[in-house]
Amino acid sequence: MTSKSRTPGRTGSTRRAVLKAGAAGAAGAAALSAGFPSIVRAADTVRIGYVSPKTGPLAPFAEADEFNVASVLEAIGGKVESASGSLDVEIIVKDSQSNPNRAAEVASELILSDEVHLLCAGNTPETTNPVADQAEINEVPCVTTLCPWQPYFFGRGGNPAEGFQWTYHYFWGLEDIIAVFLNLWNKLETNKVVGGLYPNDGDGNAWGDPELGFPKPLAGAGYTLIDPGRYQNLSDDFSAQISEFKDAGAEIVTGVVLPPDFTTFWTQSAQQGFRPKAATVGKALLFPVSVEALGDAGHNLSSEIWWSPSHPFTSSLTGQTCGELAAAFTAATGKQWSQPVGYGHSIFEVALDIVSRADDINDPESMLASIVSTNVSTIAGPVSWGSGPVKNVAKMPLVGGQWRRTPDGPFGYDLVVTSNETAPDVPAGGDMEAIG
Amino acid sequence: MSEGAAGYRVERSTRASRYGALAALLGLAVLVSLPFWGGRADMRTIVEIAYYLALAQLWNLLAGYAGLVSVGQQAFLGLGGYALFAFAIHAGVHPLAAIPLAGIAAALFAVPTAFIVFRLRGAYFAIGTWVVAEVYMLSFAQVSALGGGSGMSLPAAVVKGIAHGRMWRETAIYWTGLAIALGSIALVYLLLRSRHGLALTAIRDSEAASGSLGVDNFRTKIWVYIVAAFGTGMVGALVFLTKLRISPEAGFNVVDWTANVIFIVVIGGIGTIEGPIIGVIVFFVLRELLADFGSWYLIVLGAIAVLMMLRAPQGVWGLIAERFDLRFFPVQRRLVFDPASFSFVPGDGREGKRGQ
Repeated sequence: MTSKSRTPGRTGSTRRAVLKAGAAGAAGAAALSAGFPSIVRAADTVRIGYVSPKTGPLAPFAEADEFNVASVLEAIGGKVESASGSLDVEIIVKDSQSNPNRAAEVASELILSDEVHLLCAGNTPETTNPVADQAEINEVPCVTTLCPWQPYFFGRGGNPAEGFQWTYHYFWGLEDIIAVFLNLWNKLETNKVVGGLYPNDGDGNAWGDPELGFPKPLAGAGYTLIDPGRYQNLSDDFSAQISEFKDAGAEIVTGVVLPPDFTTFWTQSAQQGFRPKAATVGKALLFPVSVEALGDAGHNLSSEIWWSPSHPFTSSLTGQTCGELAAAFTAATGKQWSQPVGYGHSIFEVALDIVSRADDINDPESMLASIVSTNVSTIAGPVSWGSGPVKNVAKMPLVGGQWRRTPDGPFGYDLVVTSNETAPDVPAGGDMEAIG
Repeated sequence: MSEGAAGYRVERSTRASRYGALAALLGLAVLVSLPFWGGRADMRTIVEIAYYLALAQLWNLLAGYAGLVSVGQQAFLGLGGYALFAFAIHAGVHPLAAIPLAGIAAALFAVPTAFIVFRLRGAYFAIGTWVVAEVYMLSFAQVSALGGGSGMSLPAAVVKGIAHGRMWRETAIYWTGLAIALGSIALVYLLLRSRHGLALTAIRDSEAASGSLGVDNFRTKIWVYIVAAFGTGMVGALVFLTKLRISPEAGFNVVDWTANVIFIVVIGGIGTIEGPIIGVIVFFVLRELLADFGSWYLIVLGAIAVLMMLRAPQGVWGLIAERFDLRFFPVQRRLVFDPASFSFVPGDGREGKRGQ
């Protein structure tokens, strides 16, 4: 997967070795090019760099990367037709180890050593932001996804009037998730008192921000938000928060919580007799494994849904529907689908679409122009910049849903869409139910 | 040095150190001129090697010479990084000028820190320094002007203000990196050759004995701690000038800024100046070869460290030095007897004692 085939330069190989390798490479390329060995000119290669947290605490986000890269390369036969002829495609994946320092380092390796034509990244601000910062200063076109746009844009010091020059992003924003959460809660009979769990990190500060985050819109919709203040990630005691929620009589819990923290919170809530009617939490409930870790207590927990097998989109590369992609992922890995499967596929759809329309992949300006004029329908939905909240951001559809126990299914839980007002194209799979 | 009827003399330089100095000068000339013929990727990698080398030298000074096994040097690295952002963004200081300022800021913070952690000894000192670093991390997570828990990016305008054009910007950062690495080696070397070096070696070997010989243990150690913090702070500013983005988790990362550094020093050889140089080479070669293997890379790294500690605690350089009696950075005084006029006259005995 991380085929680094170019040797000259760094490794100090001898001239002879380089010549030999070059000859072998040319012969190989010729053999591949189906029957016209002597006529075809050496095919150009477009290199796409992809930074992703393959190891470390964010690894569940990157679970589908290997599958996605392999299936995308297979679907296109390793080639893309572009404005400047047929190009070989090389996708170079680097592991950020879930560490922003390492993410910056591998991004600069991709830029300087691998000389990628397009840099891509996904999976939380800890990955997208350091990568995009390196791209911006090194003037390399960059597309990222899978991080709400406010932490991406404002977290990097973005100024809405100017925006960034080289770095573009597609995902949804806080305004969308607030709308989705309100839609979910409005389907239940509650006292509209909400307890908020916001950690002191990129997401937590953005979600809990009094101006740009949850507090204002919730108040506007008649909800009371109980915010006990920012807590440190990986806490082992949420008693203070739980007792504050209990005292205020909260019937709903929300927040953007790391999976192990939510497990702690939810277990301690049960022990301390706090039983809200709805728990709608970002990040913690994305992955089936984290819900299964709760045993039966995971039933009817709710979460945002940005991708599911029932989304009505198809891949521009493989023609697969969302359901087919999820099934292929399960067939290949034996694992249940998760939301990053679709976005991990879509980023290569976007990347290859950009490459195919660029006049000259070796000219960053030309690649940039191609990014700006993107209009492609991906398995995660249509992506085009220009109508977003800021110039570098394209927004994607977002709905909400609940985890339901599936005693008969192959997996313990299934995520069901229960609110689709924000994106009516996405079919609902059930009604919102109160917990327990 | 002192020579005469006694039939012996005290030597410091070795043949290896004389040839080594020549080779180092040549190597340095190659490195300094690299921006004019090398690739951008090479420059970037060398800057990374340079700051790891500087961190390793400074940690080696603390642990290998002063016996201060700190697991909390990331406190000063993060401080230096944050100081760079504060000076460059909020005070409009030129980012390169902010690097020494970051060192001073870290040294200032080191003074009160030292008075807390120096109340602890041995393993407690190690844990104490780590706790202090965590406290720094949690504190910086509360400072919203520096991005709080979310972190902040160095604006492109600030970075572009370093020099005209990308080439000169990268060259300036590259030379700064080289200067910091060389500076750290020179600092440790000169410090060890001075009388403070003797005091440090004495403390390392036996604190009680050095105290009885008139070495002011506390004062010596505090100075070393502050000097190491100064250097680490400068490195921190350089690190985040290349990373472009800082967050509490990144700045005060114990794995990146202390565990890796301990690995380098232990593998290379603790208590020698050559050790960290060898260690940093081993570390980068391993990373280049194995980093794409995900978790296995970290497992292999750990396994190597454990094996080295069990089998060869003196490190790679220790093995080489033992086998070939090589010393490129002679900090010891060595007694050389003149075989022709050998007749053992004890003299005043002082020179002999200093031999270690």
